[in-house]
Amino acid sequence: MKKKILIFATLFIALFSLYQILYAEQPLTNWLQNPATPLAKDVRTNFWISMLAILPFLLLSEGLLFYAIVKFKAKPNAKPATFHENVRLEIAWTILPALALIIIAFPTFTTLKKMEVPPKSDLVVEVIGHQFFWEYKYPKYEINFAEKPLVVPVNKVVTLNCTSVDVIHSWFVPAFGVKQDANPGRITHAWFKALQTGTYKGQCAELCGALHALMYITVKVVTDEEFETWLEKNKPVPVTPTEATAPVKSKT
Amino acid sequence: MSDYKKSKLDGIKDWLTTTNHKKIGIMYLWFALFNAVVGGSLAGLIRTQLFNPEGKLLTPEMYNQVMSMHGTLMIFFVIIPAMVGFGNYIVPIQIGARDMAFPKLNALTFWIQIPAALLMFSSFLVPGGTTQAGWTGYAPLTSKAFSGTPGVDMWIFGLHLVGMGSILGAINFLVTIINMRAPGMKFFKMPLLSWTWFVNAVLMLVATPVLAGAITMLLSDRHLGTSFFQPAGGGDPILYQHLFWFYSHPAVYIMVLPGMGLVSMVLPAFAHKKIFGYKGLVLATCGIGFIGFLVWGHHMFASGIDPVLRSIFAFMTMVIAVPTGIKIFSWIATIWGGTLRFTTAMKFGLAFISLFVIGGMSGLTLAVIPFDVQVHDTYYVVAHLHYVLFGGSMMTLLAGLFFYFPKMSGRVLDEKLGKISFWHIFIGMNLTFLPMHWLGIMGMTRRVSSYPQRPEFAFLNRFEMLGYLLMLGGGILILYNIFKTLRKPKTATADPWDVNGIQNTLEWTISSPPPPENFETIPVVR
Ligand SMILES: [Cu+2]
Ligand SMILES: [Cu+2]
Repeated sequence: MKKKILIFATLFIALFSLYQILYAEQPLTNWLQNPATPLAKDVRTNFWISMLAILPFLLLSEGLLFYAIVKFKAKPNAKPATFHENVRLEIAWTILPALALIIIAFPTFTTLKKMEVPPKSDLVVEVIGHQFFWEYKYPKYEINFAEKPLVVPVNKVVTLNCTSVDVIHSWFVPAFGVKQDANPGRITHAWFKALQTGTYKGQCAELCGALHALMYITVKVVTDEEFETWLEKNKPVPVTPTEATAPVKSKT
Repeated sequence: MSDYKKSKLDGIKDWLTTTNHKKIGIMYLWFALFNAVVGGSLAGLIRTQLFNPEGKLLTPEMYNQVMSMHGTLMIFFVIIPAMVGFGNYIVPIQIGARDMAFPKLNALTFWIQIPAALLMFSSFLVPGGTTQAGWTGYAPLTSKAFSGTPGVDMWIFGLHLVGMGSILGAINFLVTIINMRAPGMKFFKMPLLSWTWFVNAVLMLVATPVLAGAITMLLSDRHLGTSFFQPAGGGDPILYQHLFWFYSHPAVYIMVLPGMGLVSMVLPAFAHKKIFGYKGLVLATCGIGFIGFLVWGHHMFASGIDPVLRSIFAFMTMVIAVPTGIKIFSWIATIWGGTLRFTTAMKFGLAFISLFVIGGMSGLTLAVIPFDVQVHDTYYVVAHLHYVLFGGSMMTLLAGLFFYFPKMSGRVLDEKLGKISFWHIFIGMNLTFLPMHWLGIMGMTRRVSSYPQRPEFAFLNRFEMLGYLLMLGGGILILYNIFKTLRKPKTATADPWDVNGIQNTLEWTISSPPPPENFETIPVVR
């Protein structure tokens, strides 16, 4: 009776949680359901491959354990076995997991290479973490703003140069498969190529102080035309040379 | 002299001045139990806060303090001292010694923990409160500019004190195990609990000074104007992470290895079979201890460390699965074909295996760098670490508690109550921590005090509350069980679990509780 309840309870939780991942109303934030970049797709493949590689071992060890618990319950007059060594068996369970590791290792290192060696960049964005908001700079267009969504064109390779002016932050957009710490005094790199237009959500992933939880990230992926108009609208107001070079007169 | 009656005050004085390893061990356990109550209550605050997306119970500042202190207390003031408590009590007896090598040092090692705990608790009360930077205390969040509160200094001093305790304790354990084994007790005759303590002491001795160095540099950055971790002065915050994890990854094994030792005592006892693959287990313990020093970088895969370094750390992390697998399979082979008695201790021991397998497997997925980067600093990692530290360390501690309680107190804990508390904790543990895997995959970052823009996380967070309440119930039952049993007469025999003949370790050959000197004549081991 107890066991049945236990099994049902576990099944219930598993199914309900699964439902939460697969069908929750969040298509653009959920990387498992809808990876939005080639990298995120690879991450998902990596995830499933490693799950499949460990599953036999998980089932094997939990299964054997469960079987032993049911089978070898003490009964009157039963005599325990006396073996406590078996070199072959021990060698087998040393080597077998090592083989499984190779299955996991291969895709890991191929995806890793993709992560680390970005393709030719179409757009460079500087990401600067502040307590508790993000500042973005488009050096090529001399655009600079903060606390507003990052806007990028679809199907273009966007390279991020991340840094911070205060503490460590982390730029994390799940659907892009990107998480990169923004460290003060260092510049770190990440890249993504969004395959679909839309608004993607993320947030700072490294504890950075009181309002860490509210340090959200929004990325708007738009078409090339929309991006052009956006650039036009956000162009820095041209400053006339006389104004710019004239010494500022301070009032006393 | 004859009319001098031992008063209650003498009893207290006895405890305060004792240098006996058994009394010190028991004090460690009480100390850990008290801190577990505090740390567990803080966990309750965390779960209540996250019950609703808006998280209105605590201010974000308060939440960060609670979350930081929950981690610090559970690691440094619950699991480690509880492990040390069992080690202190059992190891000298197991190797046939009358006490630790340095009894006075042993007492100092314990008493150092008290001011450390007081510093931690009182750091809540200073203006600005305690540290808000998590148990990891990453620079530069912990620098003067971003955490002005003296609470951070108190946190640092508290860690310094427990670290000092760890180093001194490790020396004591090493000297004891190397020099004080009874005649005939060769290294490869030593019971596994003593073996894990030998390896563990090496880990503590090598790793802890590095942590002490890191937080000292932090302190000096805060007050002496140095800039080890300040980019403005040419320092580097990543350096802190390297130093911190050089200690804190081995610290995971410091928290788990002695627990594996406890389980290796419990399983054979109730399976009526010798431990399977003793030598393999010893070698696996040494292997885990050694490789454990080469994997710290897996906590920094998103920091932007060197790509080659990143691959090496990932590879070593995968390699560590091999000795861990050897252990798991050896334990299963130990109970295979035995006649199992499902005492509470055995139940906790078996639960440990099944939960630790899950924690180990999720740990393996975290070596897959692309996936690790995706779930780094999310609830997936929180789930993983709780399967390792709660499903791992805590379960072994509870197995040890029920197993060794009769030896320590002369009284057997109530088995019926024990089993009820086991099911509460086992089910509650899974209800709380299993859904966290999914939350992490969905993208819920850790250490958040609220999640107003992501209400879809609420369902699982509420669900976890149920698990917390079950664990709370189990915890209260265990406390009640302990206090109830302590009022009963001492009736336990020298071998209350009837293990002699299967597991000929010395602790079951002397009375329960053992005489102050353990052995009248030092035993000779065949
Ligand atoms: Cu941040
Ligand atoms: Cu680690």
